[in-house]
Amino acid sequence: MATLQLKKLTSVWIITILVLFVLAIVFGILMRFNQGNAIHLSPVGFYSMMTIHGLTMIGIWFVAGMAAVNFLLQRYIKVSAGINVFALVLTVIGVVMLWLVTFVGEFHTGWTFLYPLPFRGAWKEWATPLFLLALGVLGIGWFVWSAGMLFQIFRKYRPAQAFAWQHLRKGSPEIETPPFILISTVTLIGIITCLVAAVLLLVLYFAEYFSSGSFVNDALLMKNLTFFFGHTLANEMLYLGLASLYELFPEVSGRPKFKMTWYVALAWNCTMVFILTAFFHHMYMDFVQPFAFQVIGQMASYFASVPAAAVTAFSVLAVVIKNPIRWSLTNTLFFVGVTGWLIGGVGAVIDATISNNFVLHNTLWVPAHFHTYNAIGNVLFSLAFFNWAANEFGGKGHTDKFTRLKMTLLIIGGSGFVIMFYIGGAYSVPRRFNVYPQEFSSLSILASAGALFACLYLAVIVWFLVNTVNKCLKVFSAA
Amino acid sequence: MFKSIFCGLSIFCLGAVARAQGPGYVFSEEDKIYQKVADVNIAYDGEVRSLSGLYSQGPVVIALIYTRCSGVCNPFLLQVKENMLVADSDERSRVLVVSFDPRDGSGEMRRLAIRYGLDNDGGWIFATTPQISELINSVGFNPVWDSVRAQFDHEALLVGINDEGFITRKLTGLRDFNAFTSLLRSIRNEFILSYPLPNENMVFSCFSYNPETGKNQPGTGLLLLLLPALLSLVVVFVLSRRHDRKPRF
Amino acid sequence: MDDKHTFTLVLFFLLTVGIVAVFLYAYLSSLPSSSAKGGLTNPKKKRFLLFFILMEAVIILFTLTLPRSPYFFFANSTPSKVVFVAARQFSFAMSYQTIAPDTQAPAKAIELPRGKPVEFRVTSFDVNHGFAIYDMSGNLIAQTQAMPGYINRLRWVFDSPGEYNILCLEYCGMAHAFMRTSFNVK
Repeated sequence: MATLQLKKLTSVWIITILVLFVLAIVFGILMRFNQGNAIHLSPVGFYSMMTIHGLTMIGIWFVAGMAAVNFLLQRYIKVSAGINVFALVLTVIGVVMLWLVTFVGEFHTGWTFLYPLPFRGAWKEWATPLFLLALGVLGIGWFVWSAGMLFQIFRKYRPAQAFAWQHLRKGSPEIETPPFILISTVTLIGIITCLVAAVLLLVLYFAEYFSSGSFVNDALLMKNLTFFFGHTLANEMLYLGLASLYELFPEVSGRPKFKMTWYVALAWNCTMVFILTAFFHHMYMDFVQPFAFQVIGQMASYFASVPAAAVTAFSVLAVVIKNPIRWSLTNTLFFVGVTGWLIGGVGAVIDATISNNFVLHNTLWVPAHFHTYNAIGNVLFSLAFFNWAANEFGGKGHTDKFTRLKMTLLIIGGSGFVIMFYIGGAYSVPRRFNVYPQEFSSLSILASAGALFACLYLAVIVWFLVNTVNKCLKVFSAA
Repeated sequence: MFKSIFCGLSIFCLGAVARAQGPGYVFSEEDKIYQKVADVNIAYDGEVRSLSGLYSQGPVVIALIYTRCSGVCNPFLLQVKENMLVADSDERSRVLVVSFDPRDGSGEMRRLAIRYGLDNDGGWIFATTPQISELINSVGFNPVWDSVRAQFDHEALLVGINDEGFITRKLTGLRDFNAFTSLLRSIRNEFILSYPLPNENMVFSCFSYNPETGKNQPGTGLLLLLLPALLSLVVVFVLSRRHDRKPRF
Repeated sequence: MDDKHTFTLVLFFLLTVGIVAVFLYAYLSSLPSSSAKGGLTNPKKKRFLLFFILMEAVIILFTLTLPRSPYFFFANSTPSKVVFVAARQFSFAMSYQTIAPDTQAPAKAIELPRGKPVEFRVTSFDVNHGFAIYDMSGNLIAQTQAMPGYINRLRWVFDSPGEYNILCLEYCGMAHAFMRTSFNVK
């Protein structure tokens, strides 16, 4: 099925992502230690790190999901290897540009780069245009990649089939849509949409940059566009991870494949629509946003996440409960990932409720919930795919005698790390502070504790990296 | 060379942003907001009454003018009249036209009312007050006598007073209909959560506030928010046109 | 650390424990891969029930919380005091009068009455900032965003006297953590 070329490409993706992941975790740990007063970074150093930490994490786990979906799509349709290479090259160029911008150019707007901050900071003058350019490079690469895959899906499945609409009707349909195809289609469309939003955002930024002041942007519009792009992309990358879960979890557990049902079809179609307006919850505290949008934001936040989460959780549980399961590192990662995703989702639903957001917005509650569904959710889905793929490439079986130890350390490290965020967030500690003012000094010890837990998490990741890279490199020697 | 171009451009842009945020919005409008208007005596229809007696019966819009004005007062009153006809069709608010010129008497005010065809309109009161300086101080209005031109140097000012006598909104200068209706809503104690500051250089404004409905209307910027979804629909459509009848795999 | 904040945390941890318990049970109930087929009986019916309960819970949560949104706070009262807030990198200017972009921030200390609604009119002269009010024990009690080009109005009633702190909660540059001011409630 998968060609050697695709295996090689996927190996390169996996190795790149894991190396960048380790570096980005190290930045994260340094930031938490700085907040706990254990080390002392300069404010510019801290915020440059914060910017590159966010950009890198969003970027790598997005491409991780994309690479996984690309690899697994090969089971159903033919996917262009050229486009994959194109995306890889542009991603590497984009990442190098971003690292230049942040560490040489001292660009530190945070990964959300809220307008007009990129025009108003103390960094090198070339950093802002280069930053916008880097986003453009990444955007083009990823747009072509997702459009290419979508194109191939539509060559085999009609849109209505790809959306599994035939399953919403009574009776069993002639052509069955695999859940993997449905989720991939829904997600790729979402990605295309948010990349279009990114293009608009960049056009508006450049228009202002080159207009010599005759064109000024509206801060509210720019904020809406920023989160249309940023929030939606962060959400879709989770769904990319889920696509590989639907495809691989039953398979590696030794259970029959997931079947498409009307619940699954309905839930994911729901997600496709609602995800496009869920980003409004970033603007709850901008009172100028029309009230209707705030209501839509809260509704969409609930209905984009809850049905898909419930369906997925139930499907996974139904596979596992009282069934014979071949547990391995791959499906344990998936299984724990679903748990982390749901817990993070609970935190997200609490924060996406306007009356709670009033006292949680931009506190540590925000990094608390998104680190939960990323660090012990989506990342684990992608790691599961990496592990599965590496074993496929490395040619050894799927057993790993250290599965329990690795998972235990990962869970302790990950949950210890996020618990410190949750406690801080509930007690109003602001996010994105490089050091904490006097009134939070008693809580800043939590930051150092969180960093220590993160070190444990990092240790497991490094261990995982060594194992996986070894196996992935075998693809090249096999040729 | 390249660097200096970028540098120059960015400095220029920053300057433009700063400038763009300055003018357009009259900051003195926020002065005296939610403070009580002075309870002065006002004379009209041959009687002297208190201002509190007037506003306790319902919200009032105060227009400050003088009859000998050769400048803004006439177009100003004309605009208020037209706006009231449209915006206050249910006649819930009254307009109190007060002269801030001590030379104006009840006769002058009566003639003014007749000139505008408002002499028999219950919603309009043309009055004078013996306590003019108290009134204009309490609403933050500063006309200056220019002895050369024999005119007051002043801006047009509308003051919205709710039924408790609090100043809820002020409008300086000749303003558009939207601003006028936002004043009417504020004196009826409707809370407007937020409003934009006008900016001439802003092409894609996200929402323009419509005081009539009390909602922010979609502006051109909002269309941009719909654009990604529409464009991706187009992308899906274009991509799906290439569907093969027979599966290729 | 008042009740509302603790409640949120406790609620979250209870739900977390519930989720973990379910998944732990599932994990422990799974059988060795060699054993005969067991499995959940009638999963479709159970799934529907779960789905139904969840959707009900979501709708109830929505209807309960929406009226408690900050947009409605004290909308029907006339504020006894108005405070104009202009945020800049990296300071807040607060005044009883409007603040024009080209003027310096007045140095007068702000004092607000207790038990009466006050209104903050918040804007920014450069980038996006946050305007978050913290009480004496360091709890976030109310916030809005300071966005250039817009004025956001936040109404609040302060029940206890003391010094309240304002922190910037929207990342605005390298001195973001040091951007703060305070006012007194008497």
